[in-house]
Amino acid sequence: MLPTSDKPKPNRRQTIRSMLAGSVLLPAAVTEMLRGGHVAASELSPLRPRKPHFEGKAKSLILLYMSGGVSHIETFDPKPQLAVHAGEPAPQAAGPANHNVKHLLGPNWSFRPGGTCGTPVSDLFPHLRECMDDICLVRSMHSDHISHMEATLGIHTGSFSVKRPSLGAWVSYGLGTINQNLPSFVVLAPKLPYGGDQCWTADFLPAHHQGTRIVAGAEPIANLTPQDPTSIQQRELVFLQQMNRQHLSSRSTDSTLAARIQSFETAFGMQQEMPEIVDLSRETAETLALYDLQPGQTTGFGWQCLMARRMVERGVRFIELIDSGSDVPNNWDSHADIRNQHPPRAKDVDQPIAGLLKDLKRRGLLDETLVVWTTEFGRTPHDDGPQGRSHHPRAFSSWLAGAGVKGGMIYGQTDDLGYTVVDQEVHVHDFHATILHLLGFDHERLIYRHAGRDFRLTDVFGNVVYDLLA
Amino acid sequence: MTTIAKILCFVAAGLTLFAPRCRSQESHVLWSHQPLRESDFSSLRNASSTRIGANAIDDFVGARQFAKGLSMAPLADRPTLLRRVTYDLLGLPPSITQIDEFVNDPSPNAFQRVVDRLLASPHYGERWGRHWLDLVRYADTCGNSGDFPVPDAWRYRNYVIDALNADRPYDQFLAEQLAGDLLPVDSERRRRENITATGYLATSRRFGVEEKQFHLTIEDTITNLGQAFLGLSIQCARCHDHMFDEITQEDYYAFYGIFQSTRYAFPGTEVFPSPKDFVALVDADQLENVVRPYERQVKELELEIERLRLQTLRRPEGEERDEAVKAHEAAKQQRVELLMNAPRYPKAYAVTDLVGTNAQVHLQGDPLDLGDEVPRGFLSVFGDDQVTTDEAGSGRLQLSAWLFSPAVRPLTARVIVNRVWQHHFGKGIVQTPNDFGTQGRPPTHPELLDFLAGELIANDWSLKKLHRLILLSHVYRQATDKATAIPTDQVQRFDQIDPANDWLWKFTRRPLSAEELRDTVLLVSGKLNLDQPAGHDFPPEHEWKFGQHTPYMSHQQTRDRSVYLLRQRLKRNQFLEIFDAADPNVTTERRPQSTTSKQALWLMNNPVFHQHAEAFAERLLSAPGDDRDRFTLAHRLLFGRRPTRDELSASHVYIGQYAIAESSASRSQDMRRLEAWASYVRVLMSSNEFLYVE
Repeated sequence: MLPTSDKPKPNRRQTIRSMLAGSVLLPAAVTEMLRGGHVAASELSPLRPRKPHFEGKAKSLILLYMSGGVSHIETFDPKPQLAVHAGEPAPQAAGPANHNVKHLLGPNWSFRPGGTCGTPVSDLFPHLRECMDDICLVRSMHSDHISHMEATLGIHTGSFSVKRPSLGAWVSYGLGTINQNLPSFVVLAPKLPYGGDQCWTADFLPAHHQGTRIVAGAEPIANLTPQDPTSIQQRELVFLQQMNRQHLSSRSTDSTLAARIQSFETAFGMQQEMPEIVDLSRETAETLALYDLQPGQTTGFGWQCLMARRMVERGVRFIELIDSGSDVPNNWDSHADIRNQHPPRAKDVDQPIAGLLKDLKRRGLLDETLVVWTTEFGRTPHDDGPQGRSHHPRAFSSWLAGAGVKGGMIYGQTDDLGYTVVDQEVHVHDFHATILHLLGFDHERLIYRHAGRDFRLTDVFGNVVYDLLA
Repeated sequence: MTTIAKILCFVAAGLTLFAPRCRSQESHVLWSHQPLRESDFSSLRNASSTRIGANAIDDFVGARQFAKGLSMAPLADRPTLLRRVTYDLLGLPPSITQIDEFVNDPSPNAFQRVVDRLLASPHYGERWGRHWLDLVRYADTCGNSGDFPVPDAWRYRNYVIDALNADRPYDQFLAEQLAGDLLPVDSERRRRENITATGYLATSRRFGVEEKQFHLTIEDTITNLGQAFLGLSIQCARCHDHMFDEITQEDYYAFYGIFQSTRYAFPGTEVFPSPKDFVALVDADQLENVVRPYERQVKELELEIERLRLQTLRRPEGEERDEAVKAHEAAKQQRVELLMNAPRYPKAYAVTDLVGTNAQVHLQGDPLDLGDEVPRGFLSVFGDDQVTTDEAGSGRLQLSAWLFSPAVRPLTARVIVNRVWQHHFGKGIVQTPNDFGTQGRPPTHPELLDFLAGELIANDWSLKKLHRLILLSHVYRQATDKATAIPTDQVQRFDQIDPANDWLWKFTRRPLSAEELRDTVLLVSGKLNLDQPAGHDFPPEHEWKFGQHTPYMSHQQTRDRSVYLLRQRLKRNQFLEIFDAADPNVTTERRPQSTTSKQALWLMNNPVFHQHAEAFAERLLSAPGDDRDRFTLAHRLLFGRRPTRDELSASHVYIGQYAIAESSASRSQDMRRLEAWASYVRVLMSSNEFLYVE
């Protein structure tokens, strides 16, 4: 269960009184708020900050999720032997007997060492290669399912069949959030990934912890744009809160009524603050260039990365960036022709991610922000279509950077061809356990009671990989 | 056997997860499995806190209150009560005429008349059908990787609504859903209806890109059946026995055999996008001459397509393969043409019986690692009933009879009675409505639960009679904690004793559900279509190419009641999700009641809501009378009561100030007036008085 605060629990009447204290119920206060003043984070907001089990290194998290399955053997896990044996029949080709025999497919990109640590990275990620001193690479990831939807669900929720609360929702549930005017868990996804919005569901956790999807454009969050001038909305809210206050005055024991009053204030705050977040006019040309962004550009992964930094600065707890969707060939799922499918995807994300790491670092934010890069599974060392690779959950690469993580290290090993993990294996559950640890949680104790039993992100599995921790 | 003894027995079994049954000989039977107990009314009445009991329910509740130092609240005022009971039974607000009728009815039976009128309304089934559809995770798509649409799913949805409107006895209602295709019938209409009812089974979740994981679908069926009908978590035993659980792994596979012997209509998958095994709702003649020949044609062609596909894989690259590819493509095109010219006849997303076969245990839940065969049967904790060996089919008919057999009936009745109670009071007598097992919470009022279950059975499982019994009690008609009804000091005192109102010393207010909110907004703006629609608009079947990369996704705007909105398993309706409607992937026993800023944003800024508000404003402005009459009409439509003098003057001030402050030369006076009124009704429709039912 969650650690509770040391303070004595206020009784219901006190609760309601303090929920309403310092609120925008009075017209003067609304005016104050309209001038840009911050609404104090109510101590009783459902998303108020909470203490984790122990002091975590990371205060916020940016999850970079690459959709479709990135080839580990062509990005972060070099396999010279695969080049030697290219063209030979695959030793472990899976699939029904009537399929054509599969052949080993040599890596299409060469690797070069990066940073002072010398972690090799392929030519698909030249910018990221410069950041390897900050990156803790895991080459021994493995997952439970060979299909996109299930594997994507697994990396997000720890469940490979039916949906469960996603990692971001668990973190929001555990830590609450810093800025009460913004959602605790934001997802920037231009397209829907496999499994759709199940990837950021709160499922049985309280609805506040659901990921809020933000899309580029005029209305980043649904229903955020006022239909009328602010003066009208202000007038309406004042009248509304008068009615609600009148209604509440003779029903003083029901905290849900007060919570509803509070929710309009939060919504109003979000309406004020979100446009400010997406307004990049104060970013310098140099910063925009760092993210490979043109002035005025509001799409692309660079935009998503810069938004992530701005949200970390403004106290959003968990930000997930998804680079592409479920539509092939516009994602990483390269069955037919990896030589033409991987490069545009890599080019989209390489410089922006490197830019994000550098920008966080120079602003002193990387010390308390955990950055996680992953995909749902790797790709086979053998061919599928003539020049493509199939799904491969038995081995893939992911990485961590920032708060609490040992930079410049490589963890885990696959065999000479990249088929299986041979040392220091890290299952998706272990990965999740380690991430929760970095945020200050014992993954076995971050639980929620639902349908008669306790649930957790890691089900009944998961071991923290202590070797990755700084 | 003590807990320790149980653990020892478990350990002694070799620390494996396959514990032998550790059920003790003298085991005490779980409360929910015991026979119904009859209560002694005279002693109850003496112990009760109240002498105003309208019926036996008040005696049970009063007795508990007395013991806790609590007492019943007075009756709610009539406008409040009418709004409450109308939303509870229909999901809609009362009309002005209905308010006037009830408020001015001097008869002592006035409320009874209201209840009878509401129970006879066709909208009753729409409100209560939605509760059932929540429970059985109804959706218009199947939930696999492509989330294939199921254009015929609506027939089951409408069946549920119609059956509840007809007050179908609950035992029959369940039997139809489990085994409607096997029940004897006296008319063609009933036969079709019964087949449609088995849509309950077909609507089980589907998984993956092909049907390799059908064991998960069967698990979903068993999970839902256990939770929805019996309040038991049977699925926990899929992989192994559990120490404290009465349901064994054998029990799970006894059920599994029944559903493994049932053919579920196939909605299509990425690998095989053609639906099949839907049940034609036609007479024998049409079946023989139209449906069967067509189905045979499709099947033959599809076998041919598969043969040609494999051929393309086997042939080496070159001319020969090119030919095979061409032949494969041609056959696929032939299929498209066949589907485009398909004969049109109604069909149901339903099930049919196969030859009965027993299942083998899946060791550790792994369908590839098979253990001993288990005879098809039911839960051994209720006795060792099995599907009789001379039963050739699945055994579903026997399963539906078993649910109402003397040993099981008390549980089946308690579970449904508790649900009806829960939807009237916000929480059940058992507060874990899907869990009447060892992990669930015991009933707050066990005698009352048994009394209601007994009444249900005595009344031939009539749910409408059960509603009537509950609604006519004083407990249901109590006021909320409004200061005008209960003295503030009493509210505070009772709130200390029982903050959760488990002992029902007041009526607990509840938020409008997503459906009630949308339906009311549409109703007052004059746009709601109150007729029952059929299905949704889906692309024609021959165009289906759904899969993990391109799942089916749609957004369809209608003016039908919200129970008829398209429900997709992969893509949820944004409005429904924001306002806590049920997730169609899993059973929803009780919806969460969240209060979030996303809801506030919807009420502040949603363009469709703004449009409806404007239509409502137009309606008010075209009503006869002056502004005072219009304020009154708005209050009566939304809150079910007249405005106070203060509210009238605040309303006048609001409209007046709006006109001055927001005047703009570019707009006509009429436009400005409409805007002011639209703004005014938006505020009313965002207020707590509107958003909650008291």
